[in-house]
Amino acid sequence: TVDEETGKVEVDDTDGLDEQAEYEAWKLRELKRVYNDAEIFNDDLLFDFKSRENEREEIERRRQMSDEVRFKEDLERARKSREEKSKGKYR
Amino acid sequence: MANRTVSDAIAVHGTNPQYLIEKIIRTRIYESLYWKESCFGLTAETVIDRAIELTSIGGQYGNQRPTEFLALVLKLLQLQPAKEIIIEFIRQEDYKYLRALGVFYLRLAGTSLEIYQYLEPLLNDYRKMRQRLPSGDFDIICMDEFIDNLLREERVFDTILPRLAKRHVLEENDELPPRISALEDDLEDDLPE
Repeated sequence: TVDEETGKVEVDDTDGLDEQAEYEAWKLRELKRVYNDAEIFNDDLLFDFKSRENEREEIERRRQMSDEVRFKEDLERARKSREEKSKGKYR
Repeated sequence: MANRTVSDAIAVHGTNPQYLIEKIIRTRIYESLYWKESCFGLTAETVIDRAIELTSIGGQYGNQRPTEFLALVLKLLQLQPAKEIIIEFIRQEDYKYLRALGVFYLRLAGTSLEIYQYLEPLLNDYRKMRQRLPSGDFDIICMDEFIDNLLREERVFDTILPRLAKRHVLEENDELPPRISALEDDLEDDLPE
């Protein structure tokens, strides 16, 4: 059928013309949604787990050091971070 | 008068509800024939008559003409009907375009919690709707695809959707139970014993 006003082909929105096919198409979309949601959820979980793991490792590593070595590392880190920051124009 | 928001309207997302539709599109709707002829003097109840006459959904088409669907969305934003009325639009099953209208309105004006509560169950509704494309042509979009777009996209039908809280945040706060797909039983059946 063609719309008289615009001359565009009209599409039929009648439901249940092929109930089985319509259901199968929906099932496929729904499966994709369930799958995607699970994927996103897992990614978030993995990210959280990894950052927590890194933090634990770092704490453990520093606990192993003597105070002297740790202090040296802190100074080194402070120096590096000062260098990374952009210096103002007037200094 | 006819284009003003009802005087006792409550601000939605911190603004006049009608502002949820961008100004340029709002202006085009106010100037459209459909707004002037068919939307004048409507109330929350008589909007239903217009909504069940709808034969398509969509944003702007052709020479940036707003669809009737979008005009009715704006009308609802202007009238700010009670939440129960909108929920009734969504709950009823006889008129899919009335449901789509309620859904779109709730996505704009509802809270994240309401949106998940009332929209997600409709992911099981796979009835076909006619969608007007920007070119002016029509194609078919199923209700569940429409809902899925509203839950995921930032922009639907030339309208920016307000930010939606992430589902898992609401779940962690115990405000929302995890979503269980209607296919859950099927999925379990498919697993080997």
